[in-house]
Amino acid sequence: MTKGGSALFPALGPRLMRSLGTLAIVVLLGGFAAAALVRYGPGFCTDENAWNPQYSASSEEATRRRCEDENNLPQFYLRYLRGAVEGNFGTSKSYGVPVRELIESRVPITAGLVAFGVGGGVLLAGLFAWIAVWSRMPAVEAGVSGVVAVLLAVPPAVLALGFFLQEAPIQFAVSLTVLARIFGTVRTMLHDAYGSSPLLAARARGLGPIALGWRYVLRPLAPRILALFGVAVMIAFGALVPIEALCDVPGIGQLAWKAAVSRDLPLLSALSLIITFLVASIHSLGEVLAGRTSRDSEAAV
Amino acid sequence: MWKRLALIFLLLVGTSALLSPVIAPFSYSEQFRDSANAPPGGKFLLGTDDMGRDRLSRLLYATAVSAVLAPAAAALSVLLALLACAFPGLVVGGLTTICLSIPWIFLFIILRAELPLNTDPSISVLLTFALMGVAGWAGPARVFSGSIREMMESGWMLQARSAGIAGWRIGLVYAWPHLRSVALAQFRVLAPVYILAEASLGLLGLGVAEPMPSWGNLLRDLQHPDMVRQNPAILAPLLLLMLCLLAIEAVAVKTHEKEVFR
Amino acid sequence: MKSLIAGLLVALSALAASPSELHFALHGDPRTFDPLHVEDSNSEIVRYITAGVLLRVNRVTDQLQPELAESWKILDGGKAITFRLRAGLKFSDGTPLTSADVARTIQKALDPKENSPAGGTLKGAQGAPEIVVGGPRDITIRYAAPKPSIDRIFDSLGIGPEGNAKMPATAGPYFVAEFRPGLSLQLKRNPNYWKRDGSGRQLPYIDSIRIDIQGNRDIELTRFLRGELHLIHKIDAESFDRVVREKPGSARNGGASLDSEFLWFNQAPAKQVPEWKRKWFQSSAFRHGVSQAIHRNDLAALNYKGHAHPAAGPISTANRTWFNAELKPLPANPANAAKLFAQDGFQLKDGVLRDRDGHAVEFSLVTNAGNRIREKAAALIQDDLKKVGIKVNIVTLDIGSLLERIRKTMDYEAALLGFTNVDSDPMEQMNVWLSSGAEHAWWPSQKTPATPWESRLDALVMEQSTAISMAVRKKAAVEIQRIAVAEEPIIYLVNPDYLVAVSPAVKGFQIAVAPPQVFWNIEWLKLE
Repeated sequence: MTKGGSALFPALGPRLMRSLGTLAIVVLLGGFAAAALVRYGPGFCTDENAWNPQYSASSEEATRRRCEDENNLPQFYLRYLRGAVEGNFGTSKSYGVPVRELIESRVPITAGLVAFGVGGGVLLAGLFAWIAVWSRMPAVEAGVSGVVAVLLAVPPAVLALGFFLQEAPIQFAVSLTVLARIFGTVRTMLHDAYGSSPLLAARARGLGPIALGWRYVLRPLAPRILALFGVAVMIAFGALVPIEALCDVPGIGQLAWKAAVSRDLPLLSALSLIITFLVASIHSLGEVLAGRTSRDSEAAV
Repeated sequence: MWKRLALIFLLLVGTSALLSPVIAPFSYSEQFRDSANAPPGGKFLLGTDDMGRDRLSRLLYATAVSAVLAPAAAALSVLLALLACAFPGLVVGGLTTICLSIPWIFLFIILRAELPLNTDPSISVLLTFALMGVAGWAGPARVFSGSIREMMESGWMLQARSAGIAGWRIGLVYAWPHLRSVALAQFRVLAPVYILAEASLGLLGLGVAEPMPSWGNLLRDLQHPDMVRQNPAILAPLLLLMLCLLAIEAVAVKTHEKEVFR
Repeated sequence: MKSLIAGLLVALSALAASPSELHFALHGDPRTFDPLHVEDSNSEIVRYITAGVLLRVNRVTDQLQPELAESWKILDGGKAITFRLRAGLKFSDGTPLTSADVARTIQKALDPKENSPAGGTLKGAQGAPEIVVGGPRDITIRYAAPKPSIDRIFDSLGIGPEGNAKMPATAGPYFVAEFRPGLSLQLKRNPNYWKRDGSGRQLPYIDSIRIDIQGNRDIELTRFLRGELHLIHKIDAESFDRVVREKPGSARNGGASLDSEFLWFNQAPAKQVPEWKRKWFQSSAFRHGVSQAIHRNDLAALNYKGHAHPAAGPISTANRTWFNAELKPLPANPANAAKLFAQDGFQLKDGVLRDRDGHAVEFSLVTNAGNRIREKAAALIQDDLKKVGIKVNIVTLDIGSLLERIRKTMDYEAALLGFTNVDSDPMEQMNVWLSSGAEHAWWPSQKTPATPWESRLDALVMEQSTAISMAVRKKAAVEIQRIAVAEEPIIYLVNPDYLVAVSPAVKGFQIAVAPPQVFWNIEWLKLE
């Protein structure tokens, strides 16, 4: 009944290679699609500050012409990719500072929120699901599911706004958002595990809940839990864009929002490259770990 | 019991939304300027908003907009995703990743900017939700392709194929019922997501435009906690939204479980 | 020796007192710290607080007061101005500030390659002025022809040091010590600032200023109410009422502001607008009819909670120097509107207004998306016009696409927007009233004026902006306002009140009409 590491991750090598190849292509194409969408969206070369009585027509024309010259799409994208390889993403249009600097100063804030949100969310989901499954009492299970269902019905941004207005840390709102969205998956996982015959046998032999949980639940579920973390990161990150924008948290989500609103092409391209990379790697991770895992975890998103 | 209750509730909400032109006390855009921000009671059951419009009537019309169009958009996404599954898995995988990571918000900006200015508001609302439905195909498509792949590898599929059952028959008789429950689950997940997405778009002014109400733009009032304190009826749209989501959850979960046990 | 001890004592007492820090928020990033390239309101505020100027318009009295220049004189009937700088001036980094710095700053502003908005203000009718440096403390600027407001234009010219530093040394009360894009700004007191108070203490009183970049105004308000911010320098009516309820001592209403909200019709010959619609838009009777159908009082009462004044014309009633006192706020008069429409051949049938050829009167009104006040104003106007049989379709566009439509493609029918006016002098609105102007909203950048009244406006604007005699300028401004109201190419709606929230801990502020309304005298503010 022992499972070695290699058995946990069957045939990792070729799958990994294939995934990396797809990853590269997808990131390149995704970045290009994003850049094209931004570049050819209306009003790209219009200066937001142009609307005031002091604005002079000559400087507006000059700005527009410069903007259009600088942003011929294929050229822009090639130049951009070359820079990106060197870790230089150009200068943000709306902030006037290097994109790299902007992102670097905000990554810790968002990473902290995501880490807290995912950690707390997964722990809570595990706890809730364990209570629901272990107790084997319909009333308890219904109660827990009820709480989660209510949480699921509250928009993340509203939840965060509520926390913010009550002066409570909004990290908890992120955790609750993650909890609500992965609870179903975790419960199914635990349900399957606790229903398996080896476990039932062990339980009958009188093994304690902790030993039981570790040996028969957590260890066999490890790859699925790992994939679940990936999904939770995506959920947390997705929820953070409106949360950060609404609560004015200076993180990556807010940066993305502002970049979208002010059509900051260099900044947006960098961000979408990063996000594509994140999405694609998490998807590949899921695929590499186990086909089934990616399905049931994504059903939760 | 819960399921029946939830069903009745959803039916009730649905019919009252569809009948809103008949049962709403006022038009959603009629302004009673002398009674702006009126508290609930009397002529206005839920009070009025800051332009003196009846909150109850607006809520009814908003429900007609959001509670009908968001599920329709979700259905569109699921349908497109099912169609996409006809293509090879690798292509779908790549395309979905790209689609999941590009800033869709620009598509909405482009849509709003390129529509003729005198387009009827109801058409622009329809198009907004339609775009949402089209843009959202990637998520369910990934799930479907995953579950199809899993089916192909499953024991019963191997058995069926080795038994020489025709491909279409496997698809129709065995694969489809399985896929259908996955599709239903996806629909259930997406419908509320789209209701909220419209609310976020509304914050940017890209959602349902004034004076037409939607759950999204009614929820915008929540940003002013002070107003909520003065008139808690502002919470009514949030409450209705939550109740509807809970009811959908209740109906869907029970249906799903029944299928599993059968 | 005595002075050294006194200095030590002052330094010690300064050490003993805890450093004071003023804390407030801007709604976006300043785009530049170069005083010559300021175009957005955030940079404008930072420039005002940091850059040293030769003289300053007192925002309360509207009179000029000396700053870096201890005295000045207008020469040759307004063709030239000569400044004498204070002795021993230094930039915040310790380098001395002389007339050479002033000359270099002016030359840089005028350099066409720099494309500086400050240069546009400094240029004369016949090109760049001649700059004569008379000594380290003396400088004369000479134009070929009399230059109107030759003294006041120096209120906005920040004198900068040599070089192109991103955060240059300053000669104003503060300098930018740290800038974290999208997050915050830290301003520190300029140790070499020349100004002292009556007791000889060096200004500014407040040691440093922390400015957070806070895009969300509801959060700004929450933070103010929690005591994390000392002031909100521009607050909307709804939030203002909340401050009144929760912190009554902090809410200040400065009365009608210089800003205005307005709508206008597209009169330009754009192919996207049908010929028959343009005919309506070009008819002044139609524009008056629309104008009189709108209830400005309701706009002020519902949209601004009563903290706005119905507009009387292009210049706010708050602008006492330039306002045409004969103009009265337009009352709503739907009956008269109907008469005006009838004059023009429109007919009301079954609640629908139709023109001579039977076209139902219907137009789209574009405004910027995400601006709640404007969206609501549009809904109110829509309802008002419905009552006279006109159908309005509200279209909210993001600011980029909106500007592209109203400035470049001209593909729109009517637009609802507002202006923030920085200066009380109507010269500022020159680009709006000149038919060749880029901001000539209803038909920008015309080659020749399309109508006789537009050509009359052109002449008046030139007179207003170039005449030396204040009486002549005022007369021209009054006439511009009269024509603007008689023709109504732009339908003015309201002048929102200037509302602020200032913590009682801040002492010494005086609210002014012209920006920056609360901290125009920032060096004199104290924190308790």
